[in-house]
Amino acid sequence: MTGVPLAFYIGLSAAMFLIGMLGVMIRRNPLLLLLAVELMLNSANVALVGFSRHWDDSAGQIFALVVMVVAAAEVVIGLGLVVATFRQRIELDVDQLSTLKG
Amino acid sequence: MNVVAATPLLIMSGASVLALVLGVLPLGPRSRWAPALVAAAGCLATFVMAVVLWGERQVAFDGNVRADRFSMLLVMIVLTATLGVLALAQREPSAVDRRAEWTGLLMLSATGMVLVATSGDLITLFLGIELLSVSLYVLCAVEVWRERSLEAGLKYLIIGGIGSAVFVYGLAFLYGVTGSTRLSDIGATLSGASLTGEPLLLVALVLITAGLAFKASAVPFHMWTPDVYEGAPSPVTAFMATGTKTAAFAGFMLMFTGAMTGVESDWRTLVAAVAAVTILVGNIAALLQTNVKRLLAYSAIAQAGYLLIGIAVGSIQGAEAVLYYLCAYTAMTLAAFAIVIIREREVENGDTLAALTGYGRVRPWAGVVMTIAVLSLAGFPPLSGFVGKFLLFGAAVEDGMTWLAIVGAVGSAISLAYYLRIAVVMWSPVPDSEPAGRKLLRMPLAGAGVAVASTVAVVGLAIFASPLIRMCRAAAESLLAP
Repeated sequence: MTGVPLAFYIGLSAAMFLIGMLGVMIRRNPLLLLLAVELMLNSANVALVGFSRHWDDSAGQIFALVVMVVAAAEVVIGLGLVVATFRQRIELDVDQLSTLKG
Repeated sequence: MNVVAATPLLIMSGASVLALVLGVLPLGPRSRWAPALVAAAGCLATFVMAVVLWGERQVAFDGNVRADRFSMLLVMIVLTATLGVLALAQREPSAVDRRAEWTGLLMLSATGMVLVATSGDLITLFLGIELLSVSLYVLCAVEVWRERSLEAGLKYLIIGGIGSAVFVYGLAFLYGVTGSTRLSDIGATLSGASLTGEPLLLVALVLITAGLAFKASAVPFHMWTPDVYEGAPSPVTAFMATGTKTAAFAGFMLMFTGAMTGVESDWRTLVAAVAAVTILVGNIAALLQTNVKRLLAYSAIAQAGYLLIGIAVGSIQGAEAVLYYLCAYTAMTLAAFAIVIIREREVENGDTLAALTGYGRVRPWAGVVMTIAVLSLAGFPPLSGFVGKFLLFGAAVEDGMTWLAIVGAVGSAISLAYYLRIAVVMWSPVPDSEPAGRKLLRMPLAGAGVAVASTVAVVGLAIFASPLIRMCRAAAESLLAP
């Protein structure tokens, strides 16, 4: 098969996934956490598209489209919740959200 | 095109959209029960379809949606939980405030669960899990005036989002290994080729296990459970404890017992280890709780561990035990939450153990319901919780995983301490230092009905265990049918 080799797709997606995972672990602002989760979801998209080309099968690309829609829905809900939290003047730092102890 | 197999899904989505639309139509105050009625009618119609479709597998939408005994049994469990929660929510402030949104979101979430149960493809499976989660994020935060509810919603969203991302990344790798998103094709590829030990497949297995463990609240991805269970409105918590758990285990069975049965040796130990740790951590942490909702959250974690035993076994017997236990677990959890929800309307901080002190003496039937529910959760014979655990542990022993059954038994022994504490508290004398705010409201009929019906089910599922076990056996066999 011509074009970008599969290993590049997997490498890029793995890097994106790990950066997202790292972001989730060290960031504390809900907006940045959402961003990191988006990065993780998009890493799956890169992998799906790569595999879809590898197998010459369109299902992977359809899956990637579905993941995009889901990610958009999640961000909408997330932003809505962040705005609602902000209106209640609750500190926008998940460590400060300590009424409920984890 | 054959759409018969998709009718449960279509009816549920139609009912949820209709319930939502009813909220914006200017129908006047007399129509305030309309959304709940539409939702209940949708659930009942879907239930009838599930009974009708009980039989050999039928597929719709080119195999993306399938209806067989396995999916229909799970659909019935989900619908029972949805109907129960609809009734329990009748006096919930958030549900009274926004009936249409509340009911519509609950129904959308239930639609997601039905989609998981009937999915025949990785895409529909993922979509179902997301539909149920995203609706639940909103439902958790629906009491926007209450800080804890917002917090619960935000926490659940972020942690649930991480879980979904991990899960879908695992699915991507599974697709990469097998070249198909169709569950049946994946099963055929994995059992035909010698893929055992393939590194990409191992990555996929670990990620899928982790993703589903987030949803099923299994250790080490359980941290969100107590916070979210406590912060969310109680009927939503009851729905998460029953419906989400059922859907997560539907996912586990479809992926592991069903599609990946060919590479069983790769994942058995992994799932068994998760099960063992989950049982121990859930049960030990529950000992320290004083809030009933938090306690039930840790109990839900421990119960997820017992259910994972059936997944780790991986055979038809294991799936059969999981299915039976899901039926029993739904009944006993609904019963326990019904009492908490009824009590919560009567006193401040009604979800603490202190608020339940002596409640059984004031309302004996509520005491009986709670006692039977917790005894069944603890696995006392002859209740259905005992039958379920017996099946799960028996399947583990039969499959050479005796150590896992022993861990389960030890966990159940620990769990006696906190389950019995609830029962004892219910029947202990009413404290003298009774706060002035303590009062008894007129019984909410719907809530009481759910409590009594679930208790009858907890006992009934044990008395009439053999027909139900036969149903579960047929369902488990259809899961493994090609």
